[in-house]
Amino acid sequence: MAEVGDGLVAIGAGLAVGLAGIGSAIAEASIGAAAVGAMAEDEKLFGKGLILTVIPETIVIFGLVVAILLWLNMGA
Amino acid sequence: MLLPEPMSKILVVGTKDRLPASIELLYGLENVHVVDFSPDEEGFTLGSPLPAASDASHKLLKLRSMEKDLEVDETKFKEKVPISKIVPTIDSSIEQIETEMQGTIASKAAKQTRLTEAQSRKAMLEPFRSIDLDLSLYKGYDSLDVIAGYVHSNPEAQLKEALGGDLELFTNPDSTFIVAFVPVAKADEAQRVLVQSGFTEVPVPDGTGKPEQLASALEAEISGLSKELEEVETNIEKLRERHANFLLASDEHLSIVVEKAELPLRMGATEHAFVLEAWVPTADVSKVKKAFADKFNEDIHIEVLEEKARVDVHESKEEMKMEAGLSTAEAVTVPMSQETPVKLEHGKGVGRFAYYTKLLSTPRYNEVDPTIMVAIFFPIFFGLMVGDVGYGIPFTVLGYLGLKKAQSQEWRAIATMLFYGGICSIIFGLFLFGDMLGIEFTAAHADELSWSALLGIEFPHVLFNIGDFALQLGYYTKLGSVKILLYISLWIGVVHLLIGLFLGFYNQTIRHGLKHAIMEKFSWIMIMVGFALVALLVMIDVLIGGAPLELTDPRFVIGLILIVVGLLLAVKGEGGKAVIELPEVMSNVLSYTRLIAIGMSKAGMALAFNFIAIELIGGADPLMFIMGLMVFIVGHLMIFILAILSAGLHAIRLQYVELFNKFFEGGGLEFNPLRVIRKHTSEE
Repeated sequence: MAEVGDGLVAIGAGLAVGLAGIGSAIAEASIGAAAVGAMAEDEKLFGKGLILTVIPETIVIFGLVVAILLWLNMGA
Repeated sequence: MLLPEPMSKILVVGTKDRLPASIELLYGLENVHVVDFSPDEEGFTLGSPLPAASDASHKLLKLRSMEKDLEVDETKFKEKVPISKIVPTIDSSIEQIETEMQGTIASKAAKQTRLTEAQSRKAMLEPFRSIDLDLSLYKGYDSLDVIAGYVHSNPEAQLKEALGGDLELFTNPDSTFIVAFVPVAKADEAQRVLVQSGFTEVPVPDGTGKPEQLASALEAEISGLSKELEEVETNIEKLRERHANFLLASDEHLSIVVEKAELPLRMGATEHAFVLEAWVPTADVSKVKKAFADKFNEDIHIEVLEEKARVDVHESKEEMKMEAGLSTAEAVTVPMSQETPVKLEHGKGVGRFAYYTKLLSTPRYNEVDPTIMVAIFFPIFFGLMVGDVGYGIPFTVLGYLGLKKAQSQEWRAIATMLFYGGICSIIFGLFLFGDMLGIEFTAAHADELSWSALLGIEFPHVLFNIGDFALQLGYYTKLGSVKILLYISLWIGVVHLLIGLFLGFYNQTIRHGLKHAIMEKFSWIMIMVGFALVALLVMIDVLIGGAPLELTDPRFVIGLILIVVGLLLAVKGEGGKAVIELPEVMSNVLSYTRLIAIGMSKAGMALAFNFIAIELIGGADPLMFIMGLMVFIVGHLMIFILAILSAGLHAIRLQYVELFNKFFEGGGLEFNPLRVIRKHTSEE
């Protein structure tokens, strides 16, 4: 039974990273498009555009941390 | 060093006969940032350009048109011509080149026009070539209509049937082009039938003669013209090679003349005098004064209007009034729109990172220049995320070459990141993680892969001892000590954020005074410290270690008090939005786990590639050996390139989003002194 439990934990870890990644991607897609649009108007906005685009990146890092914690507790 | 250089505003007043010499001097000083004169001051008008401007502009116009005709690309000609060689002969040289060029350029234009004409006429004739009728036969009928055009299929049968045989039809050999002569009365009917065969009409060209002969004559003309044009192009190229350097150099020289001559447009003027306002670094004021005194004795008057304070006049007007006894009128006349220019002073190393600050925004006059923070933390974070000697060495080498060779700002910035980041990667790779290309120097467990085992050389794990501290090749492995590394990364976050908050605190004290600073920034410092105590020291043990929560734990109590008091202060200073911002403390700190998470993902990928590659190389089969080598090289190259992207982007992001948000406003005006930049000329 322990093996099944481990498998479920592994699936959970995968879902945590995968879904968080999709979430980040959806958010970054629209922000990135808008940032590129703004940059076309004024190249100086590159720095600000970059920042705004990578803000949702944090979501996937959270997902990754959750996955790592799950992975560490596997088999325990 | 932390704040931009102090600036002073000076006023320069002199008589107009001294104006040209003054302008020369101002450009020579290279530290005078001119403020545009606003013409609404009574008794003053805007200055008018020096007489030299109009003549020089006129010549510039000629030069630029010649450059355009000769298609001079300024990046290809880099010779620096001394001005002494240009100036005396500039008029005659321009005229001479003009006459040399005149014939060539005119004939080029004429030939090009003729060529396009011939080509379009030939294109019109092209379909008619295969129909053996003189062009004059297509026109001039009263009762006949001529229909010519392309068809998909031969419409002869249908046409004959519809028109009852009243038809003369010509087609080209493969029946894709037709010419039909039909009675005017039946023309509409014919058109309708033709539409069914996919007919597209083509206009009949004017003129007389057989199309075939006309077209071949045109072909001959076109090839002749193309050859002639090639000759003209070679002539132009010769002219370009001969004159490009002169043209670019005189262009630059005259542009400088015009720019200098038009400086009075930014000054105020009366009938006989000029007035100029400018910003000068406070440290250089005496130098500027001395330069003017040396050159003009007492003829030019220079006065320091103000030494710009860092206080935000707009918001602390009330306090200033009380403290300095200024009347409201005086306080208001300090114009807020005139932002003080910001001159960033750095040594050579830190200065290389200034690009990253400016990429976001130029700092304001009254805030800390964050470049030094970027210079410290950006390479460290980059190094932590890469953390591998095997990638660090090529990064450093590439960065070093880039700094030697690269010219453009962008490439230099990337080279800066690679060089310093690479050095940090080597250091962390050697001493913190102790691995190269994802393989450790010495394995913690006997069955693990290590360089010692692979190469058969024994690496000492402990290099030497300093007192009780043992300097080791690697303390933690990226995949083996994940928990402790993640925990460390949270503390790095707390420290980094606290530095940001302290800088913000400092900014607020110089702008709005200590009271504002305590309410707006020190409150958050308290919250951050409280969070670190409660969450990182106590709650982590409880939630992950499973220890019981003791409410009397002093760290817990002090932490909670700090958070509550800090929050109350913040709410008083910033209003209700402070409460909404509270969770940001946690998400900011957690954001730093990427420092380890990204290193881990790289290590995981490296592990996978190494596993496959060593399995293949270890076998006896030579083909497998090559395959294994390929996997090893391609795999690590991929990780290497991904490392530039992810480590670079995340390292700069942690500065921009987490650190800068705590103190940086930006939007300052960059110090842009009058100076001459020469690319194609040299002064002698």
